[in-house]
Amino acid sequence: MNKLSVNLRVNGRGYDLEVASNKTLLEVLRDQLNLPDTKYGCGTGECGACTVLIDGEVVNSCLTLAAAADGREIRTAVGLEKNGQLHPVQQAFIEETAVQCGYCIPGMVVKSVGLLEKNPDPSEEEIRHWLEGNICRCTGYEKIVDAVKSASKKMASAEVKAVG
Amino acid sequence: MGELNVVGKNVERVDIRAKVTGRAVYAADMDMPGMLHGKIIRCLEYAHAKVKSLDFSEAEKMPGVVKCLGPDDVTSKTYNQSVIDLMASEQEAEWMGDIEEQNIFTKHVKFYGDGIGAIIAESEEQAERAAAKVKVEYEPLPVYLTPEQSSAPDAVQFVPEKPGNRAFQLPAEMFPNNCLGWGDVDEAFKEADLIVEDRFYTPKQKQCQMEPNNYIALYDDEGRLNCWASCQMPKLAHVKLARLFEMPMSRVKFNQTVVGGGFGARLGLVMEPEVCALALAVPGRPVKIQQPREEDWLSSPSRHPSDYWMKMGFKKDGTPVAIDAISKNFKGGYYLDGSALASTTGFWLQGMYKVENLRYRGESYFTNQPVCGAYRGYGNPQTNFVLEQIVERGCKELNIDPLEWRKKWHKTVGDNSWIGFTQYSSCALDECLEKGAEAIGWKDKRAKYENQTGVKRRGIGLSVGQHTSGAAPMILEHTTCTVRLNEDASAELLLACSDLGQGSHTTLRQIAAESLGFPIEDVHLNVGDSDANGFDIGAHASRTLYVGGNAVKQACEDAKRQLFERAAKKLEANVEDLDMNLDKEIFVKGSPSKSITAKDICEVGIYNFTNPMTGEANGEAGQIQSYVSYMPDHNSPPFFCTFVEVEVDMETGEVKLLELVSAHDIGRAIHPAICEGQMEGGAQQGLGMALTEEMYFDENGKVKNNSFTDYKMLGASDMPKMTNILVENPDPHGPFGAKSVGEAGLVTPVGAVANAIYQATGIQFTEGPITPEKILKAIKEKEVAA
Ligand code: FES
Ligand code: FES
Repeated sequence: MNKLSVNLRVNGRGYDLEVASNKTLLEVLRDQLNLPDTKYGCGTGECGACTVLIDGEVVNSCLTLAAAADGREIRTAVGLEKNGQLHPVQQAFIEETAVQCGYCIPGMVVKSVGLLEKNPDPSEEEIRHWLEGNICRCTGYEKIVDAVKSASKKMASAEVKAVG
Repeated sequence: MGELNVVGKNVERVDIRAKVTGRAVYAADMDMPGMLHGKIIRCLEYAHAKVKSLDFSEAEKMPGVVKCLGPDDVTSKTYNQSVIDLMASEQEAEWMGDIEEQNIFTKHVKFYGDGIGAIIAESEEQAERAAAKVKVEYEPLPVYLTPEQSSAPDAVQFVPEKPGNRAFQLPAEMFPNNCLGWGDVDEAFKEADLIVEDRFYTPKQKQCQMEPNNYIALYDDEGRLNCWASCQMPKLAHVKLARLFEMPMSRVKFNQTVVGGGFGARLGLVMEPEVCALALAVPGRPVKIQQPREEDWLSSPSRHPSDYWMKMGFKKDGTPVAIDAISKNFKGGYYLDGSALASTTGFWLQGMYKVENLRYRGESYFTNQPVCGAYRGYGNPQTNFVLEQIVERGCKELNIDPLEWRKKWHKTVGDNSWIGFTQYSSCALDECLEKGAEAIGWKDKRAKYENQTGVKRRGIGLSVGQHTSGAAPMILEHTTCTVRLNEDASAELLLACSDLGQGSHTTLRQIAAESLGFPIEDVHLNVGDSDANGFDIGAHASRTLYVGGNAVKQACEDAKRQLFERAAKKLEANVEDLDMNLDKEIFVKGSPSKSITAKDICEVGIYNFTNPMTGEANGEAGQIQSYVSYMPDHNSPPFFCTFVEVEVDMETGEVKLLELVSAHDIGRAIHPAICEGQMEGGAQQGLGMALTEEMYFDENGKVKNNSFTDYKMLGASDMPKMTNILVENPDPHGPFGAKSVGEAGLVTPVGAVANAIYQATGIQFTEGPITPEKILKAIKEKEVAA
């Protein structure tokens, strides 16, 4: 298989790597960079367990070739914590007990961050619509939706504080 | 009961920080030095065939290949991947006819996807490439996809012990005439004013836990077989592996990794035998198997589909006079828990209503489909779909309010429970029904939605259920728990109870902290390690909180008693006069200055010195430890109900879920948010079973929808508005009064949504899932008939 040299920026850190041209970003994150927080659930773009942010856009990393992410800014669940502080979305998932087995959760958290960065005050319908494509088999989505709502409020009040 | 400090509070889940940050380590996330990769070769050509030859010559030459294994390269010992046989006495297992007929790799393919061999290679990709080079010659056999086909006189026999391919019927030794029940059903039907009868089909639903099945095994230099897997029942898996590979249990170590959902799919063994067989072939090197999602539908057990017939007789005033039922379960290719499932499906039936005469016959037949085993509810959703629709039709024809009928006729405290010979110890179903009806506005909506016309028609439906808290006294119940108090008076619990995501490690920790009187941070659960943990059945039968909780409670109360006895000596007081605050100071009630810290007592127990001058010890010697081996003598089933409101589009057949209200009599909520989570997640699965979820096959037995696109589950925007009500009516036997909640959440949404569609359309759907196609077809047929 062809090897390509790429520069991946993952969670703020740069990696110069050789990747096989057929390798997905998911495989490279998990197997080459040893970042297993992004999960494999189907490998075919149907479950969202592998969701990451690339330049602020949510993508299924199982459908993205690693080479296509060359030079771009990738964020995954494990990189959302800043200075020992969980991201407000992570904090909200904890407070709402929105997690059961947890396997869908890194993808759900990243997907929700992607939403709130674009639309800081989404309606319940918008949240539910946005989360379509991310399957959770444990929670019935109820507390996940509550967590996204509460994170949106948290982030808005943090913004006000920062401005004020 | 005094004031509770931890029980009843939504404390932070013990596993939640690791899960939101992505740092929780699932089996797939583990890497080990020198690790090899295994790939199972599955038969994807036929659903029924003999393997004539298996040729590895090309595969062996592929880069990175370490070993190729066929049926003759691994143990020829057979096994049963389910664990139900371990939980019955030898006599009972014999009556039930449990068998062990599975091979690690088979020469007789019994379903599409059956495993016939494996490749071990340096990388996963190399193993996959080599697997594609294996040449297999098959002799195809006729494919049987229903009990009718497989029980035909000339059908190929799956195993010699089960003539006619009937894997199971209720044994006459335990159930006279192979029937469960009481009274004289045939006589009683003669007295009935109304008889409702129909034949139903309940679908092959898949658990679809989000973590695919992944394993690592290592046959180490000490000669121990180590296995890492997200099994629901690590202790029973440990026993089964030791027996299969004929090793003492002390030479097998089972490590339970973080479980990414189970719902029954990982009840017994899935691919643990395969990965261990691979590891034994390459001593000293760990072998990892990662299963592609599309194979999950093929290789792990699903819900049993069933052909379920029921007949119910009523008097004019609604009195139920008799129920007669036959459930024929599709077993798939292997036996697994063929006995237990066909039995419990009837148990849930006998547990529900006060009916004078009842007869249930349960059978299972082999079919050429991926195996069926445990799935959340274990026969209860099937019974709910059938019984609750039959009741609904009876009420409609007799013009009786279905809510009032259920209130009048459901079983309650003192009645014989689903077990048949023990009685319900608590029941708050009436309160559940009242609160649920109020929350959804049952009365008004029910009246409003009668006799609608137009394209969009609404309906509201109701269903009730009862489940179990553990498997006693039907089959074995047992949990051991050891509590050790460290020198700083923090506590370590050793137990094998599983958390599949349902939150049991958090709720058990709450029970431990409450029972010890310690802050929750001072309590740690040491789980998932078969070397350290004692016996536990594992997660099934909604047992972990109820049985494990009582084990933890007893062990912790005993440790606290020991602590207080030592304190009493020091303080020269009576144990009964002592109390402890959250700083773990033990004091004499009424004179708080007479006190000693728990730490002082624990420390002296461990660092115990004798004064060389006086020969006296500095306190009572010995680390405080407690151990219980707990076998419950009771079962406290929860009761529950669900109301669902739908809108059906009569032109497209589409069902819109508007609202769902469930109310559960859970005894006591140890952690309310976790209880609600079970009900919410259960609703997603129950509504899915009723409306969208089914594995289906072409005529050759090939699974046609083993992907999330083709196997449709409800997504975030398909879910209705939900209200989940916890009714707390402490049970005398449960820990702090708690009963189970785990499986129950799935059960009643199934019948409730079917009944809502019935009200909206005036049509009952006997075949699940109730898809838009089936609805449209039925509407057309009704129009033609009219
Ligand atoms: S693993 Fe990428 S969408 Fe499922
Ligand atoms: S928490 Fe288990 S799949 Fe979402």
